[in-house]
Amino acid sequence: MHAHPARPVALALAGLTRRFGALAAVDGVTLDIAEGEFVTIVGPSGSGKSTLVRLLAGLEAPSAGRLLLRGRDITGLPANRRPTAMVFQSLALFDHRTVGQNIEFALKMKGVAPKPRRDRALELLRLVRLPEDYYGRPVTQCSGGERQRVAMARALASDPEILFLDEPLSAIDYRLRKTLEVELKELHQRTGKTFVYITHSLEEAMVMSDRIAVMRAGRFVQVGSPEEIYRRPVNRFVAAFMGEVNILAVEGGVLSGLGLAVPDAAGPFAVLRPEALRLDGGALGVEAEVAQTLLLGSRVQYHLRAGGQALIAEVPAGGRALLGPGDRARFGFDAADIAWVAE
Amino acid sequence: MSRVHGPWFALPVGLFLAAFFAAPIVIVAWYSLMPPRTFELSGALTTANYRAAFGEGYERPLMWSALGAALTTLVCALLAWPTATILHRSAGRWAGVVTALIALPIFISESVRLFGMSLFLMPGGGILAGTLNALFEVRVGSILNSRLGALVGLVYIHFPFMLFPLLLGVAMVPADRIEAARDLGAGRLAVFREVELPLAAPGLSIGCLLTFVLALGANAEAAILGGRAVTVITAAIEQRFNYAQDWPMGAALTVLVIAVTAAVVFPVLARVPLDRIIRR
Amino acid sequence: MSRSGPLPFLRAAWIVAILACLYLPIVSVVLASLANSRYMRFPHRVWTLDAYREAVGFFQTWDLHLISLQIAAGVVALSVALGTLGAMAYARYDWRGRGLFRRLLVLPVFFPQPVLGLALLLSFTAAGVVPSWKTVVIAHAVWIVPIVTLVISIRLFGYDVAQEEAAFDLGATRLQVFREVTLPALWPGIFSGALFAFLLSWSNLPLSIYTSGPDTPLPVWLFSRVATNYAPLVPAIAVIGTIVSALVVLGLVGLRGALARLR
Repeated sequence: MHAHPARPVALALAGLTRRFGALAAVDGVTLDIAEGEFVTIVGPSGSGKSTLVRLLAGLEAPSAGRLLLRGRDITGLPANRRPTAMVFQSLALFDHRTVGQNIEFALKMKGVAPKPRRDRALELLRLVRLPEDYYGRPVTQCSGGERQRVAMARALASDPEILFLDEPLSAIDYRLRKTLEVELKELHQRTGKTFVYITHSLEEAMVMSDRIAVMRAGRFVQVGSPEEIYRRPVNRFVAAFMGEVNILAVEGGVLSGLGLAVPDAAGPFAVLRPEALRLDGGALGVEAEVAQTLLLGSRVQYHLRAGGQALIAEVPAGGRALLGPGDRARFGFDAADIAWVAE
Repeated sequence: MSRVHGPWFALPVGLFLAAFFAAPIVIVAWYSLMPPRTFELSGALTTANYRAAFGEGYERPLMWSALGAALTTLVCALLAWPTATILHRSAGRWAGVVTALIALPIFISESVRLFGMSLFLMPGGGILAGTLNALFEVRVGSILNSRLGALVGLVYIHFPFMLFPLLLGVAMVPADRIEAARDLGAGRLAVFREVELPLAAPGLSIGCLLTFVLALGANAEAAILGGRAVTVITAAIEQRFNYAQDWPMGAALTVLVIAVTAAVVFPVLARVPLDRIIRR
Repeated sequence: MSRSGPLPFLRAAWIVAILACLYLPIVSVVLASLANSRYMRFPHRVWTLDAYREAVGFFQTWDLHLISLQIAAGVVALSVALGTLGAMAYARYDWRGRGLFRRLLVLPVFFPQPVLGLALLLSFTAAGVVPSWKTVVIAHAVWIVPIVTLVISIRLFGYDVAQEEAAFDLGATRLQVFREVTLPALWPGIFSGALFAFLLSWSNLPLSIYTSGPDTPLPVWLFSRVATNYAPLVPAIAVIGTIVSALVVLGLVGLRGALARLR
């Protein structure tokens, strides 16, 4: 769980724990986050990721463990005295203020004079690609995407050392979210700041992150690059969390549901991604009957039955006629497509 | 369909309030323009009563009442703010019980409660003085029959009228806005000034308005706890009506109180989103 | 929020202090009623229930209660009737004058009560109406009708009108819709409104004092006896009056429960 070796550590989490009564919402979390890194903490609801980010921002005090910002212990520092900033899930914009007043808030708290405050706010409006005349507009008159950008600008205004983002896109509709994901990534590159992003969507994490930490029951189950997480999940939980996936039990070198022998079985469970199942080629293959066909834009998803085993396959939509329910076909894959997991 | 029904349902309430709220105000206003010490509504219009009101020293009771109401509003707000924030944020499962306990005394007549307060504060053999004397042999003075006594009574009676609207106001401050402000570097005072106060303003305004207006007309507090230390405007009006039998003069003073009330009520009510508070 | 700032102990102490201040005077009334001397000399030399014996045997005690009950019953009936209709106009129907109606409706609440009482007294007298318990009912209602209207309206805001349309669609007549759909939705609001009306009327002093004429309600009598003619009888009657109002409220709540079981 070490950060990029070439870059210094911006934030070090050392055994961070938060207990509520007998329950440990965050249970001994340790991680080094590198300067300028985009780290995403991903987990289902109740995994403790929201509590964790509140610990990082100083809105909650840890029961045990330490938090080091560039080597300085900030564990006991309250939120208003930490040089970090957070974008809230609800955005938590000050609806009784204008866009400009929202963005300037942190500077006003620092006692910065109105003129430089305003200059900085206008600079940030440009950074988040909002027109400058939004400065005097009430935030209540902004659309969802605009509010999102105001929240980003507000958090960045005081030039925080680290930016925490607690599911800021969760309330936004799908298409706008896709756009904002890309913008957020760009913003990360332009500012060069360290971003710690919280989400329940691994898909979102994949798009933006340098590194992903998958959280479950207050602990990190896997930390790695998006590709590592995707290709080499450490267990069924991580594999299933990435979306629809085929998980097959292995007994004596045989995929038990399919009755198919596989060479070099390296664990009790085989994880096979839907796109690994192809209609042509593949050293291994199963005869399957199509139960349902779902057209997903450029791809087709087949829900299959092979023996007693249900499978999901995703193939490109173009090129050949779609299979319908009741059709039978051979779906092939290679042994290298399988990720073996122990639990 | 519903557009047609609405006015019919509003009509009974409307007529009732027109007859017993609006009409009496009009009658009083008309009386205030009648010649002094007359009982007819058909005399020649005159402003003599208003001129006399300021000439004969009636601005003093009005000023005492307004000052008392303003002080009451201020003290009640200072006491109610921490109470409301504690009840809303930290009281947990006790919040309901405590809120009910605070509400309960409203339904006990203010004559009973003010009476109790005077029994408590009575010098010599009162509950407080008597207990202190019996237990510690300490003799204490009393604020009974003083301006301070009247103010204590005003605060005591009107505190719930400040607290309950304020509770609604404090509930309108989302916890995440406070956290966002803290995260952006705001200290306790800045959070209060920049976030809590403006967001709770509708509730606070209603509380202040209610407290001020009710305290403006208050009479019993001064009568029971203030002794003869202070004459409030209501007492002055009553005196004109009942003992001096000078209805037009009493009416003129009443109109002055109504004018002060209107000057406070209309601007605040125009700005406060009452519906949003009630819907909660 | 973080755990910084005042300790939980300080917060609890503040709340306890507020409650103590609110209840000390009420406790004082109870303590004062347990004496038998003409003059208040606390702690009492003799603790006794004599004052209660006297109060129970005193004809005026029950006279005062009867008048207060009469007034409260009248106010409840009037304000529930007007308030239910008003709430329909306030929250149920959308009509052109509704905004204005909502604004005007609250004005009597934001009005000094003694001043309202005096204005009504002057108007009644000018119109030749002799003050009595009936004029008190009117005076109370001016203040209480808007409050009851708001209390019932709060319930109605959450009410989905489509339920009535669904009932019509399922073949209910207008009367059946009212009985089966509208009234059950209104009922909790009406009940709370009635409770508010009763309690506010029972305890009201500033409106009663100028509009009651020769019929003296309990709070007015207490007010006049506090200033002159003090005796332990006065606090005893104050306690009895408070207990009676609590019993009436408990009775209403019990009645509601019984009605709910009958349905």
